Amino acid sequence: MNISSITRLTAALALTSAVAFGGDSHAIKVGKVITMAGEPIENGIVLIESGRITAVGPASEIQIPWDAEVFEAPNLVAFPGQVEACTSQGMDRANESIDVAPFLNVVDSVDPVNFFYEEMLRAGITTLNVQQGNSTVIAGRGMIVKPSGMTVAAMTVRPEAGIKIAITPNRGKSRAVQLMILREAFAGLRRTLEGLVQEANDGNDHARREALAQGRDFEAEDGKGRAMTGSGWIVEGLEAVPRASIDSKILPLLAIVEGRISVYMACSTPMDVLHGLEIAKENGFLAQTVLLLGPTCWKVSDEIKAAGVRGVILSSTLEHTERAPFAEEDTVTVLPTHFAEKGIPFALASQNSTTESLWFQAARCVALGVDREVALAAITSGPAEVIGLSSEVGTIEKGKHGNLVLLSGDPLSLQTQVRYVFIEGKLTYDRTTDTRLQHLMDGVQPEGTSADEPVVEDIHEEERTAGDK
Amino acid sequence: MELPRPSCLTETDDPSTQMHIDTQPSRRGTLTALLAPALLAWAPTISAQEPADPPAETQIFIKAERVIVQPGKELKDAQVLVQGGKVLAVGTDLVAPEGARVLEAKVVCAGFIDPWSTLGLDSASASLADTNILTRAVDALDPFGSAVHLQAALRAGITGYGVALGGKASVKGLGAFVCTTNRADGGLDVLLKDSFIGATVGSSGDAFDRIGYAERLVKDIKAGEEYRVDQVEYTHEITKWRTEIAESEAKLEKDFKKAKKSRDKEIKEAKEDDKKFKEESYKEDRQPRKPRFDAEKEAWARVAEGTLPLVVEAHRYVELSALLDGTKGFDRLRLVIAGGTEVLPLAATLVERSIPVIVWPTPLGSQRPAGMQAHDLSLAGALAEKDVRVLLGSGGTSGTRDLPLLAAIAVGHGLEPEKALAALTTEAARALDMGNILGKVRAGYRADLLLLDGDPISTTTSIRQVISAGKIAFNVEGGQ
Repeated sequence: MNISSITRLTAALALTSAVAFGGDSHAIKVGKVITMAGEPIENGIVLIESGRITAVGPASEIQIPWDAEVFEAPNLVAFPGQVEACTSQGMDRANESIDVAPFLNVVDSVDPVNFFYEEMLRAGITTLNVQQGNSTVIAGRGMIVKPSGMTVAAMTVRPEAGIKIAITPNRGKSRAVQLMILREAFAGLRRTLEGLVQEANDGNDHARREALAQGRDFEAEDGKGRAMTGSGWIVEGLEAVPRASIDSKILPLLAIVEGRISVYMACSTPMDVLHGLEIAKENGFLAQTVLLLGPTCWKVSDEIKAAGVRGVILSSTLEHTERAPFAEEDTVTVLPTHFAEKGIPFALASQNSTTESLWFQAARCVALGVDREVALAAITSGPAEVIGLSSEVGTIEKGKHGNLVLLSGDPLSLQTQVRYVFIEGKLTYDRTTDTRLQHLMDGVQPEGTSADEPVVEDIHEEERTAGDK
Repeated sequence: MELPRPSCLTETDDPSTQMHIDTQPSRRGTLTALLAPALLAWAPTISAQEPADPPAETQIFIKAERVIVQPGKELKDAQVLVQGGKVLAVGTDLVAPEGARVLEAKVVCAGFIDPWSTLGLDSASASLADTNILTRAVDALDPFGSAVHLQAALRAGITGYGVALGGKASVKGLGAFVCTTNRADGGLDVLLKDSFIGATVGSSGDAFDRIGYAERLVKDIKAGEEYRVDQVEYTHEITKWRTEIAESEAKLEKDFKKAKKSRDKEIKEAKEDDKKFKEESYKEDRQPRKPRFDAEKEAWARVAEGTLPLVVEAHRYVELSALLDGTKGFDRLRLVIAGGTEVLPLAATLVERSIPVIVWPTPLGSQRPAGMQAHDLSLAGALAEKDVRVLLGSGGTSGTRDLPLLAAIAVGHGLEPEKALAALTTEAARALDMGNILGKVRAGYRADLLLLDGDPISTTTSIRQVISAGKIAFNVEGGQ
């Protein structure tokens, strides 16, 4: 192996694995920092230590520590790593065929070498909430990942970060059946828990009588389990049942009812939203609920606001046009503006990794008249809030993860390129070593590969020529 | 926000309260009437369109040449006062209160009710065949997507209707009773989430298939009844067991000191004899086992005990007689026949058991099941002639708008106008447990009223105003 082949290997690895800097302290010096938490900073410096941002400010005010690795890019713009609020890509199979499957976990399905993560990184997305698709009623548990790392463990930001619930029916189900299955899942959980409590109490009562008959002093077993909490319904006396003895298949449902796990609820119509909110309220998980909305769902935005869900995620359709039945007038509703005005936290979502990536959706918003700050927030701090990670990602602020994208220009310009991506302070993407991109964009053949047709030796040539003679 | 969960339903959804058995079919109607103020609006985007401070409730005062209080009972030169969504007073000497909105009409009658409709369902739910007794029509209602049809029905005078899921499944599940409103979203007021159970014996060309479906319904009702009996038995057994156990426990407590003494003695003896001490075995009567919860059987039990009416679509004589024969033993069952194309020869049975028939007097070429096209338009009249309770419906389609026209056709073919009006008002309300709040122009009833320029059931009468829950929902003169 010669030197150049080592270089090639490094270049190939640079995409998916982090290139470690010398120390743990980094200073990124750029022409401009768009923090998404206040005014942009010209000639700014971002200090990152042990993966977290320790200081942000103008170069004149920030003292770079003596041991910091300095990354200088005076012509680039630093922007917070974008946050994809909910995606079903990057798994070996997005959809589940079992109706109620909260016992499954996408950790078993996330594929670190899936090209999807490479594409996300290239687009400047540094945090992704991976949830199952909508072809189910209650899906497996999803997780929040970063698009870097060779194992799922290395990619993990938050395990068990949510469960997808589809209100909108799929695969030939009717709405009534979809909702019946969903309601029955929670009703069944409640019956099961009540049964367990009853069983435990009956057993205890029996044991007490037995002791009385035998003349023994009876000591009731207590403190085995944990009392049920939650804002919906409560099964009294659940502390009599150790959690470990409850079927692990229903434990995630209990986590939903106790408000310990987020719910991503897929709703394509306004009625889906109303049903979904009703079920979430009944079962006490409204505050943990995030709605994935279809284009017409803005019609119930007042109900969404009043219900107090954590936020909503918009589909790729950003404006909705409707003709009134009798007045025959068109009403155009620009969805991001609508939700911003209603004061409902919302996030944009990219439907696929190229044509409608997050920044592109944000640019479309601006084209539709949405305030630029609102549009930019909808791909950074907005989705961070929606997925419950606003203290960690979404802005360039002290204390947050060192997730930065260095852009060649304005974040919403069509000509802007993602040059570098830092995840938790580590340089994770470098466009100059992105061989696949260079091949696609510039036709540069990656070293060590050949565009020529392979030469196939004609081993029968001798026989044929011999026959001719 | 008020979510679509009428409080009256939490009561009926709870199995523990379903133990009582309704002996009077109309009992739940009383309950509904009592809880009517608690019923709520659905798809309530209205809040978005109303000013922050809604104006004080306005009264509506209607002066009419004729007020049809109920079919067969009329007041001449009468007045109706409406307030708070209800009829406050009806009389011939009422004076308009100050500030009341005054309307004038030739004829005032109760809003029409369609007991057999799929209006307002989202399209997939109206056709998919995956339903069972637990699926609920309210879950599939989509007033946002059906605004045009809902508004059209309201303009035609249909202020309330029974809706069940469509599709080809033999059991369609819980039907709802809803009222149309004039909200911009075509919103609906859900008066009852569980109004009835919808079913069909299917439209198979094979008579044995249809009979098979009829027999399966009978079997399901039977299973529901047995399930209820098991529950009642269990309640008795567990009460008895608990009493006995409590008694023996009291005795055990009393004897505890003695038992302890003897135990200590035995332990001591065992130790002396170098034997292992053995606890005395304890025996008691086994606790009775609770019957396993079965949501489907629970729902069928509600049918068997008459809490929920069972509306079965059946057309041919063979399956109709199979159904009537099979259900003979269920005294509390409240059966309603929908369709009933060939039910006339069974009229005597229907009268005897007070089974209503929802007739769909429809013109040829409509969406009737194959083989039912040659439907006799005089069926409604002929059944009424024999004193069968006749209702009129739009055939489990979304064509509810046309119901008044269908009623006029039935009148043209022999149904007395008074009975046709009863079919669209009092009888329909009664069959779907709404008889105490809907179907009459009477104090205390929901103010769903039609202001007409002629007889209610006539193709030449036009509707001037429709009042839904005390609000002008449609005004032919425009405006509200």
